[in-house]
Amino acid sequence: MKTIILNTADNIRPAEALQAQIAAKGEDAELIDTTTMDIRHCMGCNHCFLKTPGVCAIKDDYKQILKKLAHSDSLWLVSGTRFGFLDYKGKRVMDRILPMLNMDLCFRDGEMRHTLRYGTLNVGVVYSGEGNQQLLDFWCYRSSANLGGHSLGAYSVNKIKEVKVCM
Amino acid sequence: MHVVIINGSPRAKKFSNTDKIIQSFAKGLQSEGSTCEVYTLSNRSEWEAAWAAFMTHDKIIIALPLYVECAPSLLLEFLATLPTERRKPATLSFILQSGFAEGCQLRCGEAFLKSLPAQLGCTFGGCLLRGNNFGIRIAKEGERNKILKPYADMGRSFAQKGNFLSPEAARFVGLETFPLVLRKFIMLSYKVVGHRKFSRTATEWGCIRPLDDRPY
Repeated sequence: MKTIILNTADNIRPAEALQAQIAAKGEDAELIDTTTMDIRHCMGCNHCFLKTPGVCAIKDDYKQILKKLAHSDSLWLVSGTRFGFLDYKGKRVMDRILPMLNMDLCFRDGEMRHTLRYGTLNVGVVYSGEGNQQLLDFWCYRSSANLGGHSLGAYSVNKIKEVKVCM
Repeated sequence: MHVVIINGSPRAKKFSNTDKIIQSFAKGLQSEGSTCEVYTLSNRSEWEAAWAAFMTHDKIIIALPLYVECAPSLLLEFLATLPTERRKPATLSFILQSGFAEGCQLRCGEAFLKSLPAQLGCTFGGCLLRGNNFGIRIAKEGERNKILKPYADMGRSFAQKGNFLSPEAARFVGLETFPLVLRKFIMLSYKVVGHRKFSRTATEWGCIRPLDDRPY
């Protein structure tokens, strides 16, 4: 099991604690601190679907993240919150995940989805600030399903010890 | 009624499905005697004017595409960096559009948008939800007009009611999920027509790799 932890929060300690927690279970967890990286907003050009399949048109540091996600089983996002949801920095790294999917369509679990370019990916969130737990759980569930995986859940940094590893 | 419409799509205006939806909606709005001004967030030079309009008007619509189950990060940045706190009451409504057609695909985004106005000092004016809009960009004119016309109808409705809280607006989303028979029919027609259409578009865009390529 290969896990990627993307930290977009100002304080990296919760991400480090999560990494240690996963490593203690004998799992491979790589922490990427995106706060020092050049990552721009997805601009919805659809080139990753229809012009350069699987390759993002934006030439920035996200490419190295995509390369790792392509060979990972789980993704944890450690993010700040705003308006009860992921803040824009956290959402920004998730919006760029589209090259993980193909343009091709299918029905999975009764809903239309894009087919997977690589393997399945489970998604979880550790958030700081005043997150709307219900909304973040819902978002994790749906985002994971789009990637063919299952939700690892949304956890406040105060409840990081409750994160279940080896899902 | 004067309405401020903010296009929260990160895609350049020329290619923005959301912009085409706004244009159709605005036609309906104006046909009932209302006026509107539109700001496009993909153009950063419009942000200052958009912030000012957002803070000083009382009828605001944010139109946005669904990105990974919620609002695009660009729009979240715009809202998080509003320079001042609102003092004038306003009604904030939303047009949320997506590529996938089922209503259930839009519910997570809707849940977020419902919670947003109160956090921005506004009253919630409802969400107009609709999917099946991916084709706007690549469709021929006749097909595109067919997709866009219902938005003009909703523009007329908004001019009369001032919000998207009507039963008519709630019905706009269409089917919540597709029954099995319909899913089978959709996949069949996708394999015959849809897939070919995407492949043709890819060729027109200069794609030289298979669409299911694995570059990494």
